[in-house]
Amino acid sequence: MNVLEIRNLTKKFGDFIAVDNINLSVAEGEIFGFLGANGAGKSTTINMIASLLRATRGEIELLGRNIAKHNKFAKMNIGIVPQDLAIYEDMTAYENVSFFAGLYGLRGSLLHERTEEALQFVGLGDKHRSFPRNFSGGMKRRLNIACAIAHRPKLIIMDEPTVGIDPQSRNYILNSVRKLNDMGCTIIYTSHYMEEVEEICTRIAIVDHGKIIADGTKEQLKSTITDTKDIWIGVKSAESLKVDSLRNVQGVTAVRMDEQILKINSKTEVNNLNDIIQKLIRDRVEIRSVEEQEPSLETVFLTLTGRNLRD
Amino acid sequence: MKDIIWLIRKTLISKFRNKRSWFLYFGLPIAGALLSMLLYGNASGTDLRVGIVNEDGNQAITADTIQFVGELKQVRVNATDKTSLNQAIEDGKLDIGIIIDKGFADSVRSGNPGKMTIVSIKGAQVTAAVKSMLQSYIGNITAIGKETSGDQEAFDRIYEGYRQPSFKLTADTVKDTSSTKSVTYQTFGYLITFMMFSAVNMSGLILREKENRTFLRIFSSPISARTYVLANVAVNVIIMLLQIVVTLFFMRNVFHIDSGVSYIEFVPVLLLFGLSSVGLSLMIVAFAQSGAIAGAMQNLIITPTCLLAGCFFPMDIMPDTVRRISNFLPQHWLLDTVNKLQQGNKLGSLYLNLAIMAAFAAAFSLIAIYRFGRNNDTRMFV
Repeated sequence: MNVLEIRNLTKKFGDFIAVDNINLSVAEGEIFGFLGANGAGKSTTINMIASLLRATRGEIELLGRNIAKHNKFAKMNIGIVPQDLAIYEDMTAYENVSFFAGLYGLRGSLLHERTEEALQFVGLGDKHRSFPRNFSGGMKRRLNIACAIAHRPKLIIMDEPTVGIDPQSRNYILNSVRKLNDMGCTIIYTSHYMEEVEEICTRIAIVDHGKIIADGTKEQLKSTITDTKDIWIGVKSAESLKVDSLRNVQGVTAVRMDEQILKINSKTEVNNLNDIIQKLIRDRVEIRSVEEQEPSLETVFLTLTGRNLRD
Repeated sequence: MKDIIWLIRKTLISKFRNKRSWFLYFGLPIAGALLSMLLYGNASGTDLRVGIVNEDGNQAITADTIQFVGELKQVRVNATDKTSLNQAIEDGKLDIGIIIDKGFADSVRSGNPGKMTIVSIKGAQVTAAVKSMLQSYIGNITAIGKETSGDQEAFDRIYEGYRQPSFKLTADTVKDTSSTKSVTYQTFGYLITFMMFSAVNMSGLILREKENRTFLRIFSSPISARTYVLANVAVNVIIMLLQIVVTLFFMRNVFHIDSGVSYIEFVPVLLLFGLSSVGLSLMIVAFAQSGAIAGAMQNLIITPTCLLAGCFFPMDIMPDTVRRISNFLPQHWLLDTVNKLQQGNKLGSLYLNLAIMAAFAAAFSLIAIYRFGRNNDTRMFV
């Protein structure tokens, strides 16, 4: 059964088409990755699903009901974890979760029980009376999640829930996403961190210029790219590296540094590994490892959209 | 309704947890009342300061008249000359000036009193009271003059008898209420200024919610925009009511300001004005794109209009043009209502003032609703 069904969805702001005739479905129990660079139409789509924006055309169904006609039903069954922290700094962690859960009609002992449960779930069970202003970035992010799940929604939309936090908190959040999914929640997940999406999402859609340009499992998406390979070169230091000169090597389509790994996209049919290594030696870059890989999701994204996810 | 109460509860808890809110909502209006007392409840208490210029020499009638004024309760008399008198009145050092010209005693004796001028810039009931007491006193002596028809000896005999204690006119207390009324009026001037600022502060919560994104989280729940705005207005009205009650309590029971009118009568009038303030604040929020812009608009709108409407200075000293402009400001109609209540008008008879204030509230709210309705992006969702 599909939790979410989007048909011919379009949103225009004046002459600008932010979302262009999107068709999409999310099945129950999926962790659905929704990828797109800034301005691709991701947030506009999410805002329409959350009934924060009215569609210019098309329809959205949640659990089989049109959200325009059953607005309250839709809102009761959706939980939003916004990209920007949406919590009150002058209210305690408990008050924050309790207030937002109360907006869904919860009161009394049930409200208390759900608030406790949500705080425990995100690991803030011992921080009831603490104010978020004293929290670390990761704790605030977790509180942001608790506020969205206390009313037990069927569909949770997480918009970049791990932005700007330490690896430990990120792992905690990713585990929480999996746990929520195990508990029966369907999740729409957006992120700028491709490895996160690869790690947890069961299906992924790529949106660009308001249109869905690819949709499938990560394996299906990767199989669409047959003419590109990834070359990963571990280097000691990249200070002396002239990245632009590498782009001039025949067959190289993109070069980027990710910590101490030089990630190169290249055309499959061109055998250019020797040329690349010679360039690096000429630039006095100390090479530690060389791997030729299947195209990553990031390569898929770059090939399909022509830009990096973080652009 | 449950949702509205839920939102009101949260906002009130959040607001009153912040010490700055207590200062803004209650501290400033009380400070305004205190300031009014310092500025308008002058050190001389309620004594009326009367300056007398005697150009009629040592005539007994003249001397007795001056003595009569001096014996009036809560009146302080100073002898002075014409130039100093005018200057002292202009400077506010004297409330009333009495000029007794040469020939005053003779005019009274002849039964045709004249040669006396009473000067005041207050024009209040107080001057009328002194004038009336003097007229009564002089009228009695004039009657003796008329009866004796120029018979000097008969006049002196009867006048001497009149001066005996058994015939003496009782000196009544002339109570100068203008000072306490000025304090009340000006305190209300400050109060309504602060009410307007707190209204914008409260409605500004909508913008702050937009800026910290809690706004989007609220609207992704089943709460409607109407419920949200109604809750905001309700909190605004509750805070205003508390502001009014606390300020009036302090005026009456702590500062002991005699407003001349029952304090209960002021509550509905001030609350009606509060609705105009809420309407105006919503209008500002509807047009402002951010809290910073709302703050700037608030300063640009509230401070000058309060100045023009007489919230900081008495309207009496304003030029006619400014007075005419102030007719277009809700603050003017509130202060005018207060003034008229103090002059003895009944609240029911001031329906025009009340209707105008209600019209301001309705007009501001309608403009805000119109503007809110035309916003078409998530950041301007309400």
